[in-house]
Amino acid sequence: MNSADFIALLPLIVPALASVVLLLLITFSRSHAVSVLFTLGSLLLSFLLLFVAGGGTPRRVTPLFIMDAYSLFFIGLLFIAGIVVAVMSSRYLGERSMERGEYYVLLLLATLGASVLAAGSHFASFFAGLEILSVSLYTLIAYRRNDDRGNEAGLKYLILAAASSSFLLFGMALVYAQTGSMDFFQLAEGGRVPDLTVVLSAGLLLITVGVGFKLAVVPFHLWTPDVYEGAPAPVAAFIATSSKGAIFALLMRYFSLMDLQRFPAVWYGIAGIAVASMLIGNLLALRQNNLKRILAYSSIAHMGYLLVAVLAGGTVAKTAVGYYLAAYFATMLGAFGVIAFLSGEEGDAENLEAYRGMAWSRPWTAGVFVAMLLSLAGIPLTAGFIGKFYVVAAGAGAALWIPLIVLVAGSTIGLYYYLRIVAVLYGRVPEGEGGAVTGFPGRVLGMTGGILLTVLTFALLWLGVYPAPLIRILQATVARLVP
Amino acid sequence: MSYPILSTVIFLPLAGALVIFLIKRSNESLIKWTALVLSLLTFAVSLPLFTGFDKTTADMQFRETYQWVPSWGINYALGVDGISVLFVLLSTLLTVLCVTVSWNSIKDRTKEFFAALLLIEGSMVGVFCSLDLFLFYIFWEAMLIPMYLLIGVWGGPNRVYAAIKFFLYTLVGSLLMLIGIIVLYFNTGRSFDVLQMMTTNYPYHLQLLLFWAFFAAFAVKVPMFPVHTWLPDAHTEAPTAGSVILAGILIKMGAYGFLRFSMPILPEASREMAPLMMVLSVIGIIYGGLICLGQTDIKRLIAYSSVSHMGFVTLGIFALNIQGVQGGILQMINHGIVTGALFLSIGIIYDRTHTRQIADYGGVATVLPVYAAFFMVFTLSSIGLPGTNGFVGEFLILLGGFTASNVLGVFAATGIIIGAAYMLWLYQRVFFLDVNPKVRSYKDMNLREVLTLLPLLLLVLWIGIYPNTFLSFMDASVQHLVQRVNTAGQPQMAQQIIEVIR
Amino acid sequence: MNPMTPGSYMPTEYFPVLITMVIASAVGFGALFVGNLFRLKRAYREKLMAYESGNPPLEEPRYRFNVKFYIIAMLFVVFDVEAVFLYPWAIVYDKIGLYALIEMLLFIVVLVVGYVYAWKKEAFVWD
Repeated sequence: MNSADFIALLPLIVPALASVVLLLLITFSRSHAVSVLFTLGSLLLSFLLLFVAGGGTPRRVTPLFIMDAYSLFFIGLLFIAGIVVAVMSSRYLGERSMERGEYYVLLLLATLGASVLAAGSHFASFFAGLEILSVSLYTLIAYRRNDDRGNEAGLKYLILAAASSSFLLFGMALVYAQTGSMDFFQLAEGGRVPDLTVVLSAGLLLITVGVGFKLAVVPFHLWTPDVYEGAPAPVAAFIATSSKGAIFALLMRYFSLMDLQRFPAVWYGIAGIAVASMLIGNLLALRQNNLKRILAYSSIAHMGYLLVAVLAGGTVAKTAVGYYLAAYFATMLGAFGVIAFLSGEEGDAENLEAYRGMAWSRPWTAGVFVAMLLSLAGIPLTAGFIGKFYVVAAGAGAALWIPLIVLVAGSTIGLYYYLRIVAVLYGRVPEGEGGAVTGFPGRVLGMTGGILLTVLTFALLWLGVYPAPLIRILQATVARLVP
Repeated sequence: MSYPILSTVIFLPLAGALVIFLIKRSNESLIKWTALVLSLLTFAVSLPLFTGFDKTTADMQFRETYQWVPSWGINYALGVDGISVLFVLLSTLLTVLCVTVSWNSIKDRTKEFFAALLLIEGSMVGVFCSLDLFLFYIFWEAMLIPMYLLIGVWGGPNRVYAAIKFFLYTLVGSLLMLIGIIVLYFNTGRSFDVLQMMTTNYPYHLQLLLFWAFFAAFAVKVPMFPVHTWLPDAHTEAPTAGSVILAGILIKMGAYGFLRFSMPILPEASREMAPLMMVLSVIGIIYGGLICLGQTDIKRLIAYSSVSHMGFVTLGIFALNIQGVQGGILQMINHGIVTGALFLSIGIIYDRTHTRQIADYGGVATVLPVYAAFFMVFTLSSIGLPGTNGFVGEFLILLGGFTASNVLGVFAATGIIIGAAYMLWLYQRVFFLDVNPKVRSYKDMNLREVLTLLPLLLLVLWIGIYPNTFLSFMDASVQHLVQRVNTAGQPQMAQQIIEVIR
Repeated sequence: MNPMTPGSYMPTEYFPVLITMVIASAVGFGALFVGNLFRLKRAYREKLMAYESGNPPLEEPRYRFNVKFYIIAMLFVVFDVEAVFLYPWAIVYDKIGLYALIEMLLFIVVLVVGYVYAWKKEAFVWD
């Protein structure tokens, strides 16, 4: 490694260092504000360093990492998500009397793990990133120590993630046994993967299980609602966005490098997962009354939509995935943000009925929430629509009619439960004693919440109304991923 | 023109909605007056479309084009021709009336109500003006949200069910259309430009698939026979203004979609599918009419009559001749005016009685004579009595329908008889017979209500007596359209015919 | 190491291990199985009791340990793994040189930070 390598790796080194320093810091002074500011500062610094690191791209730093425009884009997205989650958490933790410093150490580590995944170009970095991410998440999910559901969620995630990691490892071993290399780029070289042998397909199958668990696609989705429900709202936001987005970035790189779509078995396998996720995710959300669970099922369906773009392959599909992920990040963070900021000591504001008639007592908060829901549903003028439009365009360009029809069916089912929430928000409040109208019982957003959610909403609408700038960025970064 | 009229007509209401949002909730009269002034202003701004329209050409007028998403070839392109210009005017006019009719009947959440109304107006006009399919789709979908809220918040007892049903039906169709739009995009050299599509000839099998994709969206909106079931619920549960907008304009967008997109872009498929469409239309006419006879709820009856009347519209459109298409367009306007007026009238009496059951009325004519007179004119127009606008439209449609198919023409004509039956029977049960004690104490219409209905009454008579004012707008455009549909891809047809003859 | 071609790699040098594992399992399971065929099967209360070197059991076999045992155990594992890393590092140190020293120092520094954290959290205080 030389100095240029170090510069290229700086965006990964800074959060790694920051987490160690923060650990020392909280050892000696437990100030919540200092922890928050330190976390935000280091994430912001790492984000800015991306532009420094972007100077010499694409650069292979040891066989483990590739710092090219593709990884820089996704790392940037992950850092932004990290910042948003940190802001959300500062308020969320500030409302509660619990140990706070460690949370930010873990958050930094989780973001680091996700970024390692986005830059990974080797099975070793793939696995290392995944473990850094997962191990941090085990603790973050169970962070509400005195909450039974939190503990249950943490334990569930621990056991299932460990099991899926072992599947993943075994799959990697089999692929290695077949191809003799763990380096994605070597795998991509001609002739390495000439045919789908039994060993290779078994390996790919096991990797699919491992990755599918992390992405929470059907049939590996069973943990999702419980974990989302038990995790603190900001952590749930993190799982829904960063954790999935990073895996997705890596998966797409792996797929396009190895050109796996050319094998019908792989293609049909992914198509099956996509179709199942779109249908089952949406169907299971229909009868939920817990917002976090609804969002969990909705995220399952969204991964299905994204897989349709992966199936399509090609430049449009890569841009589509990039756009969809960016839109999905903004939307999911916003939706969970509303829940997080409205949550108090007594528990998360996740019960749908509690929101009845909120639009009348708090029009702006409800408006933000509605914007997020409509974006999830893919209604025009929101980022979600352009994302869905892009995915459909990629699918139509590759003539994937059946997945597209399922996408339409899934979106329609999805719309039903998003509209149900909107109907509750705009519902009539049952009159209280003496005709007094009871407002939403939860807390107010506060200034941080107000600012953050306003920014997210504006981002959402901006991306929905004027997508050209982001498309340009994507064409300069994600679309240039060389197969 | 010195200012971009179409953009103004679209964005003035949208800006108005924002202004209303910023007004304090408690200041209700300011909210109402703002809404009224803005809707009047929008109507005034749209009037130059009427006066400045060049009737001699089929080209798009008042055009505006700006780049929007260059990498996708998406433009912000607006323009109107003889087919769409009248709908823009109808939208702006009906919105004003919706504001006045809701003046006292909307008692809670006034602010959001009028904001939603203006949002709907802006996006409706956008639908009629878009010359870029992407832009069109955006407006098409954007209108759903305020409409959903309008039904779901201010509607009747079963409002949430009706609102969600309405939204879901429309969305399924829209998403299929979205796929169609994207396929069209790839086959038009990566462009969403409608005008370019109108001159491109697509392969026949592709046209056929696209026709069904677009059909899914438009037929739901119209609504055509098998996919009409959302309409009675939505119309019935919606507040008066919502019903007026639904019946007056929203369901016209489906038929407009056929005229603007399906027929000129996919002429061969439209030609092939026209008989099927006409059969569906006639089924709609008769089925809708028969169901009306069994209704006990006034609003529901008018809602089902819309199914029947829109059947006439699509029948005329898919007759694919000048009389039929002109009649279809005119009947769309007529239906907008008459059904809008009927819903307004029902709203006016509902504000007094708070019941929609026919059985709760009787002898209204003796208690509210002025109201009864207004209602009579609209009833007669709905039946298609000569001298009213309904006659002109239905006559032209039947003329076109008979030219296309005698059998279907006969069946459609029976629809008029059924129509006369249910409307007159309704009128008899509500306005004549013994005076129901429940309605005895009510006052006749006040000035605001008269002023709301008067413009529509004048239009009914104007179109009925001198339809040429309006028909002349669409002459050139309709001729152009009919020619496009009937001649595109003709050589192949001729070839096939020759082969068959051999 | 052998140059590897895709799909042809067989870890032949581990073959004896496989054989050993198979034989060992066969002997173990075989003995149990054969014993099962011949032995007397007469269960009575005392025989089914947990075997505590002949003494009757005093209390339930499962009870709570103090959580501090776990903390100590976990810390032990961490430092134990560190020691495991040090062995191979020491062997290849000659070949890598200064770079290896820096890397190991980094590793140890991170561990020390963790150690300090645990110390300050009073993980080592028993009462």
